[in-house]
Amino acid sequence: MAKDRSGPEEFTRPLRRILVGVLVLLLLVVFLIWRIDSPRVERFRAALIDRLVPNMEWALLPVTKAAGMMDDFQSYTRIYEQNQELRRELQQMKAWKEAALQLEQKNARLLDLNQVRLDPKLTHVTGVVLADSGSPFRQSVLLNVGARDGIRDGWATMDGIGLVGRISGVGQTTARVILLTDSNSRIPVIVQPSGQKALLSGDNSSAPPLEFLEKPDLVRPGDRVVTSGDGGVFPADLLVGQVAQGTDRRLRVRLSADYERLEFLRVLRSHDLPPITDPGGVVAPPLPAALPALPEDAAAVEGADG
Amino acid sequence: MADPVRGKVWLLRGAFVGLALVLFFFRILPLGSDAGKWPGPDLLLCIILAWVTRRPDYLPALLIAFVVLAEDLLLMRPPGLWAALVVVASEFLRSRAALTRELSFIVEWLLISGVMLALLLGYRLVFAIAFLPQPGFGFAMVQTIASILCYPFVVGLSWLALNLRKPAMGEVDAYGRRM
Repeated sequence: MAKDRSGPEEFTRPLRRILVGVLVLLLLVVFLIWRIDSPRVERFRAALIDRLVPNMEWALLPVTKAAGMMDDFQSYTRIYEQNQELRRELQQMKAWKEAALQLEQKNARLLDLNQVRLDPKLTHVTGVVLADSGSPFRQSVLLNVGARDGIRDGWATMDGIGLVGRISGVGQTTARVILLTDSNSRIPVIVQPSGQKALLSGDNSSAPPLEFLEKPDLVRPGDRVVTSGDGGVFPADLLVGQVAQGTDRRLRVRLSADYERLEFLRVLRSHDLPPITDPGGVVAPPLPAALPALPEDAAAVEGADG
Repeated sequence: MADPVRGKVWLLRGAFVGLALVLFFFRILPLGSDAGKWPGPDLLLCIILAWVTRRPDYLPALLIAFVVLAEDLLLMRPPGLWAALVVVASEFLRSRAALTRELSFIVEWLLISGVMLALLLGYRLVFAIAFLPQPGFGFAMVQTIASILCYPFVVGLSWLALNLRKPAMGEVDAYGRRM
């Protein structure tokens, strides 16, 4: 089978170079298409992940459980300290429980007085976390509920306590949640006692900073941060976390949701969001009386929709 | 052409795809997301560069393109860009296979480190040109440094597990040609 090597090699080398050039060009064209028409490519990506990842669930689940068991086993070794700590916390919690019960009764009385009915549309779907984003630069998780369960893009996602993120990318049986810590996440929030509005913008760190605060002097570490519902994207008054001052003296938010253990997440069925079809108009000062003022909060939007 | 050497080529190509799948599987395990943790090495990149330097005929450009494009899509990266850069880098090393065969490992390591740094800078440059948000430079650099540090281990493991090494002097390929 000994062939003269130089013959075909001399001939194929330029051809090969052209083919590789075409291949690289094709890949760059894919990137350009993504840059120009991102929603279509992202839908394709969601569909691809939707086909692939649920097939791996049988293997993902036992490995995840095994890792969880190892974690639990490590915590056995510190059981005495944990016990002491829990006792202390229990003491504090008892005081809080008393306060909560009283407040609950008071709240029920006030609601009764005002004849408030909670919005029946604000129900939720619970999903299990299937997979992580897989990249250290992106913070997202994949849930096992999708378009089949009525999940829509943009809905808020919470764990038992606080806001976790927002749905972005829905497949037939899976949906991706962009976490608040992702560098693409921007959520309008309100800082509680002072009522200052701000934007919570993720920056790939565990405590995202508050941006566009009007008067940072009024905000103190420990203040409660909740969603403001501005722009009609999120329901208002979902707990996000507490203000804390970072080492760089920026105001950051310590998130209430337990990001270490995201297992079951609640997707809040929000009102129908207007689909984003165009890249948005020019941002300019509104013409007097030509444009209606933006609704103040999500409740007003809901009233207009329903 | 059912000779054993030809079979080994396909076996290693299969092993490459399998390794890529296993790496992907372990990266998406939902073990709690910890934002701001130091990023680990890009092992797939290490494998590609190490194998292309050793035996360019085991990894055709098309296979590299497909596997990295799939990784782009699955790991929420902009699709195509990283794949294109990795194909260019592998072609660069492939055309210098005759040169790197003569080099000692330290020099090869330096060369690979340079290629990895160039990949990082090129990737970030295109991100900047396309006005895409990107993670901080130091943060991305940590990953590249981790990859550079992992490279000797990847080389050693592929040598131990798959007997992947540079062709020795006077070794002949499946067709009896001198390599």
